Amino acid sequence: MKSLPAVASKPPIKFRLPTAENLVPIRLDIEIDGQRFKDAFTWNPADPDSEVVVFAKRTVKDLKLPPAFITQIAHSIQTQLAEFRSYEGQEMYTGEKIVPIKLDLRVNSTIIRDQFLWDLNNLESDPEEFARTFCEDLGIVDPEIGPAIAVAIREQLYEIAIQSVASARESRISKKGRRGAEHVTTSKAGGTVLDLVKLFGGKSSVLRKRKEWELYEPIIDILSNEEVSALDAREERNAR
Amino acid sequence: MEDASSKSFPANEPEQDLYTIPSYSSWFTWDEIHETEKQALKEFFDGSSISRTPKIYKEYRDFIINKYREEPSRRLTFTEVRKYLIGDVCLIHKVFRLLERWGLINFGVPTEDSSGDEKLKGRLEDGVPNGIRVVSVPNPNKVVLLTPNVKDEAVDKGGFRLPPLASYLDVFGDLMREKGLICENCGEGCASGRYVSAKQGGFVICVRCFKNENYGESKTADGFKFSDSTSSSDDHGSDVWTDAETLLLLETVLKHGDDWDLVAQNVQTKSKLDCILRLIQMPFGELMLGSTNGKGGASNSSGNNINNRQVQANSIDTQEPIKTENQCHENMDETRQIREDETQDPLLKRRCIGSFADSGGSLMKQVALLATMMGPHIAAAGTKAAIAALCNENEYAQEMFEGEEVSVTNYFGSLTSKNEPGRVCKVDDMEMGEKCIQSEPQETPQEKLVPLALRFRTGIAAALGTAAAHAKLLADQEDREIERLVATIIEMQIRKIHCKIKHFEELELIMEKEYTHIEELKEYFIAERINVICEALRVGISRWKDHTSVKSVIGSIF
Repeated sequence: MKSLPAVASKPPIKFRLPTAENLVPIRLDIEIDGQRFKDAFTWNPADPDSEVVVFAKRTVKDLKLPPAFITQIAHSIQTQLAEFRSYEGQEMYTGEKIVPIKLDLRVNSTIIRDQFLWDLNNLESDPEEFARTFCEDLGIVDPEIGPAIAVAIREQLYEIAIQSVASARESRISKKGRRGAEHVTTSKAGGTVLDLVKLFGGKSSVLRKRKEWELYEPIIDILSNEEVSALDAREERNAR
Repeated sequence: MEDASSKSFPANEPEQDLYTIPSYSSWFTWDEIHETEKQALKEFFDGSSISRTPKIYKEYRDFIINKYREEPSRRLTFTEVRKYLIGDVCLIHKVFRLLERWGLINFGVPTEDSSGDEKLKGRLEDGVPNGIRVVSVPNPNKVVLLTPNVKDEAVDKGGFRLPPLASYLDVFGDLMREKGLICENCGEGCASGRYVSAKQGGFVICVRCFKNENYGESKTADGFKFSDSTSSSDDHGSDVWTDAETLLLLETVLKHGDDWDLVAQNVQTKSKLDCILRLIQMPFGELMLGSTNGKGGASNSSGNNINNRQVQANSIDTQEPIKTENQCHENMDETRQIREDETQDPLLKRRCIGSFADSGGSLMKQVALLATMMGPHIAAAGTKAAIAALCNENEYAQEMFEGEEVSVTNYFGSLTSKNEPGRVCKVDDMEMGEKCIQSEPQETPQEKLVPLALRFRTGIAAALGTAAAHAKLLADQEDREIERLVATIIEMQIRKIHCKIKHFEELELIMEKEYTHIEELKEYFIAERINVICEALRVGISRWKDHTSVKSVIGSIF
């Protein structure tokens, strides 16, 4: 408990994704005239915005989509970037925060379920490399899976970073006004934050208990073609 | 090599296991966190977070290494490890990569491909005796392994495949014979036995020719017979040594030493002769024998090997001092072999990086040894000359050495007097080392003024001086030898000429005798003629007739 206040008093940093590279996860889901285009990737917010249109044109050309998609794609990316930029410059509270990241995604015929801990304070973390190692270690060959995992991680980190901005703002307010409510608000804002003292404090071991192993173990399922089409159909229905 | 007693992981096997780690990771210990680790993973050591402390790092590290060592032949993956460990996956990944990079885990484990085979290949034999260095190269195939199917493979493929512990003869034996044991009819004649024609030229051998190798050298009817007998009697092959057998042999030899009966009894599948042959064939067979004779001697002295090697190199050209020390030089030879084995071995834990001070120490020792060989006076003279040269070069050095000269020369002098040639050299070497170490601190108070670099230069110069003196001595010796040889040659020539003269004199004598003899004969014949003529005259042969006859007689005489 002693070290916690010192750590917590670490100055907040400017908003960014808490990873080595400040890449924004972008998710596209566009439907025009019955044609649906879904994709997810990362974007460097430092790139000039002119790139967005170039990217959209190229994507449409490569995928042989109707030209109407160009503006839609560009627009969608722009919007998401704008949202990200709206947080930039604000302070975010990342001190001592280790969050569980849960993966549950389907890429083509592969289902991936996994859970692990991610340190928001570790600005050297690299979701892409993590995903790469993941695929290597598990012998996954589908080239789409790695990026999908990385984007999924980034999306969750992004979400948490936004929450951190909010909590930073709240704590600032509470410091001015209601001092006593501080702890409550921060812990509420980062609802999933783990009790680090319990995990890493003096006596406990960093080895996980045997019964928890399964929780934190990646699970890979390969679906049959029928299952894939069934799932696709269901998602289609849900989307409408 | 690292004995991993299961300190932090009691679930491990209780006995000591042998693991290989690369030599560059020799800094690793279970008990401490090394500077290398601290450098690579600063975040654990700057107190930045409660989730990153040295203790947690150590737990991560120990767990990952232990996890790997539960099954060293299998590649441990990060994804597997992370489910056991609480903490930031990126951080754990970093630790994992560090350990992997330093070879503390997944060292020598081949990547993914045929994982079924790797299980066998990657496993190290638990009971390798201490005397053997498991020579392991990043290439896992060269590790000393238990691969019982090596022989089978060799048979199956029909190619000339070598067991991992191949000796020079194994590899180049057939090249030297210029024949090459090519199995031409391997397809057909395998089971029936192979045929080695007694003639030197025709070697027609089937797949199992591998076994014949030993007998191939004596390409006679005997060799032929021999191969026949092995083919008929011995299906598990008395000549092919599996790795298991080899290891067993090595262990037994280490245990029992020269007692070949016992060894053969232990190895079981091989005869006494086979065991001896095999051991000799192995690249370090003689070394093994040597090390069993002087138990542990080799490993003890391995520390000063570098010096030993230099000593050896130095003493090669001076035959006389060696004679008294033959015994120890043999030892050193062995040591050198060990060392050479070891230096090829990237896995050695024992190897450490030589510092400048170390090299200085060995230099001093070398100088001391040279001085020993040269005798105190020459060494002192050499040192003086060296210092004088240094002083000429640099006035500052002159001042430095003003007071030191005596002590330095004395130092080398005392070294030489301390080392009588009669002693065992190894002991000498050690003592020299000690002496150096002892005397250096003694000197330091006096020499405080002399900078270290200068001292080194002095040392080097002195070494050069002594070496030069030594060379001079050798040259002189050589000169004398040449002179002596020339003198002998001349003497021999003279003797030859004398002999010839004598011979000629004898011949002359004989000739003279012959000559006088002929003279006598001549006189005798003349007298005879005269008698005949006188007789004829007296009997009264007609004058004219007589005249011609007498004339012809006289003409024939004169």
